[in-house]
Amino acid sequence: MTYLPPAGPSGRSPVRPAGHTVVRAGHRGSFLLHRRALAVAVVLAVLLAAAVVASLCVGESYVAPGEVVRVLLGLPSPDELVVGTLRLPRLVTGVLVGAAFGVSGALIQTVARNPLASPDVIGVTHGAGAATVAAMTFGLTSYAVLPYVSVVGGLLAALLVYVLAWRGGLAASRFVLVGIGISVALGSLARLFVTKGDYLVAQQAKTWLTGSLNGRGYDQAAPLATVLVLLVPFLLWAARAQRGAAFDEDTATALGIGLGRVRLGLSVLGVVLASVATGAAGPVDFVALLAPQIARRLTRTPHIPLMCSALMGALIVVVADLLARRLLAPLELPVGVFTALVGAPYLMWLIVSARSSRTGGTA
Amino acid sequence: MSGAASRRVGWMAFGLLLLLSAVMLSLAVGSRAIAPSVVWEALVHGGMSDDAQVVRSLRVPRTVIGVLVGLALAVAGTVLQGITRNPIAEPGILGISQGASLGVVCAIAFAGVHSLTGYVWYAFVGAGLAAVCIYAVASGGRGGASPVKLALAGAAMNAFLASLISAVLTTNARALDEFRFWDVGSISGRDASIAGQVWPFLLAGLLLVLAMARGLDALALGDDIARGLGRNVALLRATGALGATVLTGAAVAAAGPIAFTGLAVPHIARALVGPQHRWLLPMAALLGPVMLLLADVLGRVVVRPSEVPVAVMTALAGVPFLVALVRRKKVAAA
Amino acid sequence: MTGNRLTAQGLTLAYEDRVVVEDLDVEIPDGEVTVIVGPNACGKSTLLRALGRLLKPRRGAVLLDGTDLSRIPTRRIAQVVGLLPQTPVAPEGITVADLVSRGRQPHQKWWQQWSETDETSVTEAMERTSTADLAERQVDELSGGQRQRVWIAMALAQDTDLLLLDEPTTYLDIAHQVEVLDLVRQLNRERGRTVVAVLHDLNQAARYADHLIAMRAGRIVAQGPPADIVTAELVGKVFGLASVVVPDPVTGDPLVVPGPPRQAGPPRGA
Repeated sequence: MTYLPPAGPSGRSPVRPAGHTVVRAGHRGSFLLHRRALAVAVVLAVLLAAAVVASLCVGESYVAPGEVVRVLLGLPSPDELVVGTLRLPRLVTGVLVGAAFGVSGALIQTVARNPLASPDVIGVTHGAGAATVAAMTFGLTSYAVLPYVSVVGGLLAALLVYVLAWRGGLAASRFVLVGIGISVALGSLARLFVTKGDYLVAQQAKTWLTGSLNGRGYDQAAPLATVLVLLVPFLLWAARAQRGAAFDEDTATALGIGLGRVRLGLSVLGVVLASVATGAAGPVDFVALLAPQIARRLTRTPHIPLMCSALMGALIVVVADLLARRLLAPLELPVGVFTALVGAPYLMWLIVSARSSRTGGTA
Repeated sequence: MSGAASRRVGWMAFGLLLLLSAVMLSLAVGSRAIAPSVVWEALVHGGMSDDAQVVRSLRVPRTVIGVLVGLALAVAGTVLQGITRNPIAEPGILGISQGASLGVVCAIAFAGVHSLTGYVWYAFVGAGLAAVCIYAVASGGRGGASPVKLALAGAAMNAFLASLISAVLTTNARALDEFRFWDVGSISGRDASIAGQVWPFLLAGLLLVLAMARGLDALALGDDIARGLGRNVALLRATGALGATVLTGAAVAAAGPIAFTGLAVPHIARALVGPQHRWLLPMAALLGPVMLLLADVLGRVVVRPSEVPVAVMTALAGVPFLVALVRRKKVAAA
Repeated sequence: MTGNRLTAQGLTLAYEDRVVVEDLDVEIPDGEVTVIVGPNACGKSTLLRALGRLLKPRRGAVLLDGTDLSRIPTRRIAQVVGLLPQTPVAPEGITVADLVSRGRQPHQKWWQQWSETDETSVTEAMERTSTADLAERQVDELSGGQRQRVWIAMALAQDTDLLLLDEPTTYLDIAHQVEVLDLVRQLNRERGRTVVAVLHDLNQAARYADHLIAMRAGRIVAQGPPADIVTAELVGKVFGLASVVVPDPVTGDPLVVPGPPRQAGPPRGA
């Protein structure tokens, strides 16, 4: 390539991607940082920390924030049993589940190029649900095994949707429509299994199908944390690759982006994350839908910011679980009830308010 | 008579024949197989043999309800697809059936209603409310809803209602045991009186649909052209939506949520007799009961001696259908 | 064969089961503006899509510097061939400056996200297309003409030796059409860029092309400098239109004037 000087004299300042700071490292390295996204991430992290402390304070007995912080820092405290042993494991699971759903939603929405898509509607969570309820009715009720069952179910359902939607390429709208169809069918299968089991199993299955953190602890958090750590290199790739996925097929090809490969990679990542999170806590509806959309509105970036989506997802789950635990205390609601009650109307509002040329139509 | 018209009449006759065979199968097949001649005997002359008892007290109500429900869902699906100009509009996918479920849950948990005949009214109200919401969402925004948008709105509706149901059931554990059996759409074990309660609604729904059926063809050409042809588009839509909701509400109240019948049947009918609604609606009305009864009969025999509810069968049969539909270029590109 | 960089041999192109172009050979002359014209559905856009690897040939191959396109990583192609599809879709909510910057993607690496070269190319591309004033605006809010110029700016920022444009003047009024075509020619004249464009308007094609390719029903009917090949006979053969070809009063290029309107019948009721 040759570079000729600009065509004519001009006093213009150089153009840069809006809102970014360029960090130069060495004489060839250069990195783009989105200032606002950075600020939003910091604010969300602070809010999340506050919500975590608040959630640890509240319960059957009240624990002062000071003691909670002492326990978190590993200092001796009289409330170590309540905070460290009873409340913390559940909370850690909640944070991880929320983060996983948040990232998963961001990836799936990017691939579907539709702010309304999420793992909830492409079969992942329903696949996990049907598999788990089936396992429960056949006598597998241990929370140590069920996560694996639901991961397998979620992956299989997603694979099925993927294969059925594939037709010389992966059109986003086909993907979503097939996913919804499969979800409806799997939902009806799950209901069938609920009738086959006895009453207690039915109760457990129903609660699980709504998504609940009740009784969840490190047993569920450990596999989830492992997967998240293992996926970090892939997530770094995804953070860059997803920018290209926002284009249509032709434009992406023109820019030298192998859109098929990028989409496949992003959706596999998203599906794995959603399945693992579903395995840990059941399908906590709409977190995967809400978190990325809110995060994107906050950062005002053209792509969906992964880090902020993760933090937002964790924040939503922690707050929703706090409400689910305390609102009707001593009775406890599944956390999924709250996320769905907030998330579904929000999704409908998105649909109604979306400019029709933009949403769904372009897919 | 032109070739096309005689072909359509031929398909109609074929549909009628199919319906009669399906009814016969539904009366004859089950955990106890009964010869067609015995069925006929029991229907015409009565009789007190075991077979005659089974036919009259179990299979006739079941078949009648199957016919009514299938007809209602198929016509409702056809009208919904017509007024939304959307090939995937269907009561189950749109969450209308789930609304009925919520109604039933409330009936069990709060109103202390414990009989199927009592549920019906609550299911009916729930379906109606859900339908109103989904229409509002679907018709909102510029240019109406694309298939993807409508499907997503339906998914949201389903999830929203499911979480409400779940909230009720978690706080009221005893309701779950009762509800879970209604929640799987089925036409078995339904009382004959259900048919008696449902048919007036069915008739009202059909009359509403008939009143606007002629306008559906104009609507298919787009709102602007329909207006240009002198149609009152808003009135047409409202009448059609009301009719479809009444039909769906009645069907779901009688049999529980049954997905995909309203989706598949109109498309099959369209493939046979073309897109003109004066042929399409009667054809769908014939094929709806056929699909439902066949699915039900199949559900009775696949895992003998136990039964698979008809809703599971229609869902399993309907998914391949939806997939095939979506894989056609037109829908995905819309 | 001469040493042209972009060529195609034995090209058969099809959508699903419909063959659009069959066994076609074509060479894109280096350093010239090539324009492909023809009636609707003649395969001109299909050919351009194949040249830009948007459509995989059923048979035959498109060669870039002698290598089959399908054997070159798409990113490498993007460093040499720029491409503007017919209806590109911008990511929702993206600003003009961001979108044009995305044109640099083929040249960037994860440790090289914004080099000095990136900055110069983007700034220059926006100046050339007069989109610098729009930099902070959202692409969604722009008018059709502005948006088209922004897309062209993105293709320019890609800084490629070859540039393929699929009907770049659609949606534009006549002033903007001329502006875009002038820009294309200027790029070619000043930078020696090879340009291939599909155009609807035969007269614009004749005015701006150095090399004209006239297609009909998937075959090339004629190709060469417009002055040599644009005749009333060719217009009849390609478009099935009776016409007179006269010299353009401004440039002297051939100008196609359609024949007299068909005689209408007497008014009704007369």
